[in-house]
Amino acid sequence: MSKGTQIVRFSFQQRVEHFITMAVFVLLCMTGLPQKFFQSGWAHGLVELFGGIDRTRWVHRFCGVVLALSTVVHFANAAVTMWSKKAGFTMAPIRQDFDDAVLQLKFYLGMTNRHPRYDRYDYKQKFEYWGLVFGNVIMVATGFVLFFPVAFAQLVPGQIIPAAKVAHSNEGLMAFFVITIWHIFNAHLNPDVFPFDPSMFTGKISRERMLHEHPLELARMEGRPVEELLGHAAPDHGSDRPHG
Amino acid sequence: MFAAAALLAATAAGAAIPAEQDDCLGCHTDPKETFTLASGEKLPLSVDQAAFARSVHGENLRCTDCHADKTSDHATGEIKFKTRREVTRAYYEQCKGCHFANYTKTLDGVHYAVMAKGNPKAALCVDCHGAHDISRPAQPRTRISGMCSRCHQAEAEVYSKSVHGRASAANPDVPVCTDCHKAHDTTDPRDGALAMRTPEICGRCHSDEKLMKKYNLSTSVVETYLADFHGMSASFQKGQRKADGKRLAAVCTDCHGVHDIQRPNDPKSTVMTSNLQKTCARCHAGASATFPRAWLSHYAPTMESAPLVWMVQFFYRLMIPFMVGGLVLQIALHLWRVVVNR
Repeated sequence: MSKGTQIVRFSFQQRVEHFITMAVFVLLCMTGLPQKFFQSGWAHGLVELFGGIDRTRWVHRFCGVVLALSTVVHFANAAVTMWSKKAGFTMAPIRQDFDDAVLQLKFYLGMTNRHPRYDRYDYKQKFEYWGLVFGNVIMVATGFVLFFPVAFAQLVPGQIIPAAKVAHSNEGLMAFFVITIWHIFNAHLNPDVFPFDPSMFTGKISRERMLHEHPLELARMEGRPVEELLGHAAPDHGSDRPHG
Repeated sequence: MFAAAALLAATAAGAAIPAEQDDCLGCHTDPKETFTLASGEKLPLSVDQAAFARSVHGENLRCTDCHADKTSDHATGEIKFKTRREVTRAYYEQCKGCHFANYTKTLDGVHYAVMAKGNPKAALCVDCHGAHDISRPAQPRTRISGMCSRCHQAEAEVYSKSVHGRASAANPDVPVCTDCHKAHDTTDPRDGALAMRTPEICGRCHSDEKLMKKYNLSTSVVETYLADFHGMSASFQKGQRKADGKRLAAVCTDCHGVHDIQRPNDPKSTVMTSNLQKTCARCHAGASATFPRAWLSHYAPTMESAPLVWMVQFFYRLMIPFMVGGLVLQIALHLWRVVVNR
């Protein structure tokens, strides 16, 4: 196979889901964070941009509902796909992920020359995915409590409402940090992909990057043992191989 | 105003009534002397000399400083004004000659706006301050509320029964009308703009550590309000006015009342625990008996007062630094490895 071969990594639907999540997340941060940091000047500027606090809130609620629906559609779709055996539960966190994380950290610290070999999703991607999933569940649940406080107070103790507010506000801030720090690093600033990893938008990834980042999946796709793919001389493949 | 008056008093150096007054007081002394206006009202032509002498202007203003159009040989028996109110409205403009700053403020006030719309009853300088018998307005402070009550009886009645009104006679700490409504640039309270300022207005006293300590009251009421949904919303709605279909966030007065504020443990208080459901339901239609528990009563949550809220807060206080720190550390290690391997 030639060096420039492209492999399809994400389906059209997955790319659309990512695009919606991205757009809605940006809007949610822009309309949500000013409400948390209402005493700052920039917060007032952003709220003005959306035409006042009432409109800012309606944009926030609308985006929240879109995020909730897209989460439901995502799970329904994933369940159907796995049910029909078109794809495995490749996002499931397994024991191997923990071992990979330990090995990866040892590698970063220079304690080993061995680099973990990843399957379709590495532990960082799984962490971010499950972080987003649990985050979404918390944000959507607490968001609805704050959207309909009177209705919820008829079902649950009143104290749930301020607790939901604290959770929504902090979980939202944490999501903002995880995305700005972790996701921006991995998808943009990481030396392997800098300045921009387009695979989530084009749906394609080069075979070279697959070999480097997801060798186990590539080996399964090509039906060859992974050692043969990576070459016996270079078990610790990759551009960030330590020399010592 | 007082500074200017004090300065003038100092320069006047003791003279009881400036000598020129004698010319006027030669005629204007008989309290029975009146002029019948076209409206049938009798305009008194005399001035109470003793009252004027006691007034703040007694030692430093001459009659003609205000009655500038009168000369010693002015015509008698001709007054162009048809009503007493017209006389008052014609002469009140004289005050601005010295008290320009306060006069200018009144132009932003609701009384001026009402007058500009054609209501002759709208309060002018002399309606509150008096004419010949002007004395310092806040001596004693309750005089101010008394002054306003002459026109605003219904409000004064309610205020006098409130926690502030009941104490006002004996206690200079409690607010009188002008403390919230302002004296010269009195805000029109009907459009909601004044209400949106109440966190700041009430906060002037209720976050004053020294003052609140005297009454054993909490000073965290404003910050706990701001930290909550209502306070945050209100701070984005500062300066906004009521409009059709537009609801502004609840401010101090929406829960505590306006002129009828009572202690929260007073059975009449709108924020008394047993009355809260009704108070919440004014905005939150259908609020259940547990709904008021959503509000943490101006207290920062603690393990005792609101364990669930406190625990959630505690969790994130640990979780956010742990998460952010962990991710940053891993990124730093990754980049370090890339640099070392280069």
